[in-house]
Amino acid sequence: MFLSGFEFNLVELGHFAAYLAFAVALVMALAPAAAHFFHRPELARVGVNASIAVFVLTTLGGLAMIHAFVTDNFSVQYVATNSNSKLPLFYKVSALWGGHEGSLYLWVWVLTLYTVVVGLHGRKHYPDRLPTILAVQGALMVGFFGLILFLSNPFLRLFPMPPDGRDLNPLLQDPGMVFHPPMLYLGYVGFSVPFAFAMAALITRWKSEYWIAHIRRWALIAWGFLTTGIILGGWWAYYELGWGGYWAWDPVENASFMPWLVGTALVHSITVQERRRMLHAWNIFLVITAFSLSLLGTFLVRSGVLSSVHAFAVDPGRGAYILAFMTVVLTVSFSIFLARGRYQEAEEGMTSMLSRESMFVWNNVVFTVAAACVLLGTLYPLALEALSGDKITVGAPYFNAVMVPIFLAALLLMAVAPLVPWRKANPERLRSRLLVPVALGLTAGVVMLVAAWPLHWTGPVAAALIAFVSGTIFTDYARAVRQRRVQHPGELLPRSLARTLLGNRRHYGGMIVHLGIIAIAIGLTGSGLFRLEKSVVMAPGEVVEIGGERLRFDGVRSFQRDNYFTVQGQFTLLDRGVVVLPERRRYPVQEMPTTESGIHTTIWRDVYVVIADPVGEGNQTKWGVHVYVNPLIQWIWGGGVIALFGLGVTLTSRRRTARDAVAATAAAS
Amino acid sequence: MNKTWLRLAVCICGLLLSFTLPVWAEPVQEDPLDREVLEIAKDLRCTVCQNQPVAESNADLAKDMRQIIREQLVAGKTRAEIVDYFVARYGDYVLMKPPTERAGLLLWIIPPLLLITLALLSWVFLRQRSRTSPPPAAALSKQDQARVRAARQQQD
Repeated sequence: MFLSGFEFNLVELGHFAAYLAFAVALVMALAPAAAHFFHRPELARVGVNASIAVFVLTTLGGLAMIHAFVTDNFSVQYVATNSNSKLPLFYKVSALWGGHEGSLYLWVWVLTLYTVVVGLHGRKHYPDRLPTILAVQGALMVGFFGLILFLSNPFLRLFPMPPDGRDLNPLLQDPGMVFHPPMLYLGYVGFSVPFAFAMAALITRWKSEYWIAHIRRWALIAWGFLTTGIILGGWWAYYELGWGGYWAWDPVENASFMPWLVGTALVHSITVQERRRMLHAWNIFLVITAFSLSLLGTFLVRSGVLSSVHAFAVDPGRGAYILAFMTVVLTVSFSIFLARGRYQEAEEGMTSMLSRESMFVWNNVVFTVAAACVLLGTLYPLALEALSGDKITVGAPYFNAVMVPIFLAALLLMAVAPLVPWRKANPERLRSRLLVPVALGLTAGVVMLVAAWPLHWTGPVAAALIAFVSGTIFTDYARAVRQRRVQHPGELLPRSLARTLLGNRRHYGGMIVHLGIIAIAIGLTGSGLFRLEKSVVMAPGEVVEIGGERLRFDGVRSFQRDNYFTVQGQFTLLDRGVVVLPERRRYPVQEMPTTESGIHTTIWRDVYVVIADPVGEGNQTKWGVHVYVNPLIQWIWGGGVIALFGLGVTLTSRRRTARDAVAATAAAS
Repeated sequence: MNKTWLRLAVCICGLLLSFTLPVWAEPVQEDPLDREVLEIAKDLRCTVCQNQPVAESNADLAKDMRQIIREQLVAGKTRAEIVDYFVARYGDYVLMKPPTERAGLLLWIIPPLLLITLALLSWVFLRQRSRTSPPPAAALSKQDQARVRAARQQQD
């Protein structure tokens, strides 16, 4: 494509904008300190405008990069490395986050987005603390812009300009990969907002009741994005990587899972602080940890330390920068925490060992241990190699062995805790409320044991706990609906159901999230314990049988599409007459084969077909075929959608409850 | 004329039936040796890949390793012997599941220890917190008293 000189060099405008953004972020970071030092309080107020400016500038830079991608401007090194003139437009845009430099740019772009939202929102709600919050965000931006502009610059030009680009990594040319990184980053970076609030709270001795609701909301939002990102990542791996699985406990996956686990602990324990004015310091600790783990994730993924400790030691550059940055953030934040943490003290005590608040403490134990174990398994091989030179592998079997019991413990808490009231539980009442759910759970466990014998011990335990949790949630809801119908006789049932749910959105939103998690647990149990697989060699016309499904191989076709060649196998599921079309693609620019699995989905199971290598020549060619039957796997993605819906319900609750309180007071007087 | 039509009809019927032939054909069986190879390959790491077992990798090395497993199975070696063969060459690195002795020991001890420690700490924390008497509850404000009264009346 021929570009005019102006368009050709538009990317320099973006480059300049990025430098300006760096400068403005620096101003933002220093504003409150300057205001304090020079006794000019009005200086602190530049924060909001600075946050707008830095967002606009970063967006300019991002748009300039996207423009360079869309116009095939291969004079930009990053575009030349990660795009190609034949790449479909959709992937040209998403190629922005297809490599190191662009991913980091997306990171900081998301950070500026969050910051401007906080700035605009805070002007009205917490103007006095806003400068400090924005200064923390500004300091983080300075750190990341420093990395981007000096060590990992996506705007660098290339001379001479190559005739065409080296193309985007074929594995990333998939819709799942287009949305996965932005969602993940919205989650990672989302935890910077609670982090900034916590820092501001510590520095300015902000009282808990003023910041707690804000931190809770932001933590929930970050948690939601991170959940979406992780599930999209699993979905992508399932469809694209062609081994029938979705989660391999790869360090890169663990990197996103650790902040998720700590974030989950946080969104639970923060409720204790809100309702019972306890655990302030612990919550701040969790906020700092969640964000630190987000940084650690970025470090692990972006530094190259995972492929080899030695490769990292030879060429530290970027990795050393992120490591240093992380160390600074950790040291500074934990120093502030230790110095000022005691001003954030609990204002109430525990009434009973058996109470909702104690349940939340146990929840925190479970999730903290879970996060620590993932951290251990991810970092241990790196530490071992760096210290002793020994190399070991910590793979999926280790994580499954360690994490599955922890998850089961989490399910047990999930079943009991929502029935335990705040402050002090009445053991008799609790026992009577647990009766039906426990009976349901035991039945489900026994049924599973008998029906699927022989099986791994986790199977019946998981089934029992899943039924137990569902029983708890539904009997609890039914009890509330019944109570409402006593108070409002003659009300239509659907109305009672809806009003009960909407009347306590926060609680029922959380319960819907729990149901989503239960659906995910069902999917994990089904696909984890009952997966069937067969690896066969087939000639056209032959049939393979697996799990009661009969699959006929009808032959292969090869053809060319936009930027790849493909060999497409055609298979027919005989009992349904459905055709599935797995592919093997070859992207000539990167000379890289990829597999596209052919999947037939029902709510109960997926038949997952992968076509492997040809065997033999000419007319006698047979093909290696891997067939998997993955029971209940769709429940995982469905559960994710349910959980996000529940989160949305929870997040709509705040204004309503405030208005209700006013209305109730008015009615009473 | 009629005969030609009949013949044609028979031919077409035969052709149509032939399409269903594969349905009646014996399904392809998985080579049990292949399955055994894959089951062993699941526990071994493809040493040039990032965190991928030999069973799932398309790398040349993984193909070679699968071939070696196959040859050794044919030669009558047991699963343990084959795994030992690879450990002797690549060290513990080749095992997807770290060993419970030597360098892997800490990995298996720390998680349960951590759980016990944190649980004990929380127990102590909860005990201590529930012993300290909570501050006295504030008296109900007039507004609150009115709300309680209103609620009671509604219930009656």
